[in-house]
Amino acid sequence: MIEKVLQGIFVHPWPFWAGGIIIGLLVPLLYYYYNTALGVSTGYGNLVKIFLPAGHLKWVKTKFADTFSWRVYFIVGIILGGLISSLFSGNFGFTAEMGRFTAFAGWPAIINAVYFFAGGLLLGLGARIAGGCTSGHSIHGISNLHFSSIMATALFVIGGIISANLAQALIMGGAW
Amino acid sequence: MNKKLGFLGFGILFGFALSRSGASEYDLIVGMFIGENYTLVGVIGTAIIVGLLGMQVLKRTKGVTKKGEPLKISEKKLGPWSLFGAALFGIGWGLSGACPGTVLAQLGEGKIYGFFTFVGMIFGTYIYARLKEKRAEI
Repeated sequence: MIEKVLQGIFVHPWPFWAGGIIIGLLVPLLYYYYNTALGVSTGYGNLVKIFLPAGHLKWVKTKFADTFSWRVYFIVGIILGGLISSLFSGNFGFTAEMGRFTAFAGWPAIINAVYFFAGGLLLGLGARIAGGCTSGHSIHGISNLHFSSIMATALFVIGGIISANLAQALIMGGAW
Repeated sequence: MNKKLGFLGFGILFGFALSRSGASEYDLIVGMFIGENYTLVGVIGTAIIVGLLGMQVLKRTKGVTKKGEPLKISEKKLGPWSLFGAALFGIGWGLSGACPGTVLAQLGEGKIYGFFTFVGMIFGTYIYARLKEKRAEI
């Protein structure tokens, strides 16, 4: 019985509602304990300050005065969470596979790396101009019925539908 | 509990849940955009419903935090710039099959291309800091 429960938590993929419940509960829990809104992408500003010579830029200097704020701890925690999950489920491993992308694109590794870097560039820049990402806008913002977050999420999804379909058609040869 | 250690713990829970739900899988993120797999629509949808109910309970029964402070919930700005940024973000989401949270779970799992998405995000944020220096309204 206990073995079954542990396997359900650590080995088998979760049903959608299990992850949804835990992720959703983070919103009220973080308010209750720390009066803080759930959000990940702002913490990349801390990483800019840590890894790039950007300390003189006003936005970095003022907004990230505490270089190693809770946001950095949250980021490190999420990385550890992914590590723990993959270690227990047996999926951990340094892999250059990325699902259907590496299965069908057939590009050299360096071009793949540039592709994902470019995607990340748009995510980082876009999240800051939008004022949040999937966690801050879509989960935290909509949970609080914020109109700006509903609009931002609509555009996240429209952008994603357009770019994912274009990438499938142009790069992965319409593999779906 | 110390706020930083608390966020480390909640981060582990968040990353674990993202990874166990498949949110760190390129195929599942792209799958929801090309209409092939709606698992993550279920995850995000459930999270929003649970978050909404939880916030209603918190606001109605107490309206205060554990320390007894009133809740500080601020709505993010809405304007042409934020909508433009959201569209850029969406394009990046569909290309990389990751978002700022799930890419961190990918890193933990050892996905090498996730590392490039992650580095791209840091540089994207850096570009924002440079733009903000010139144009305060962004």
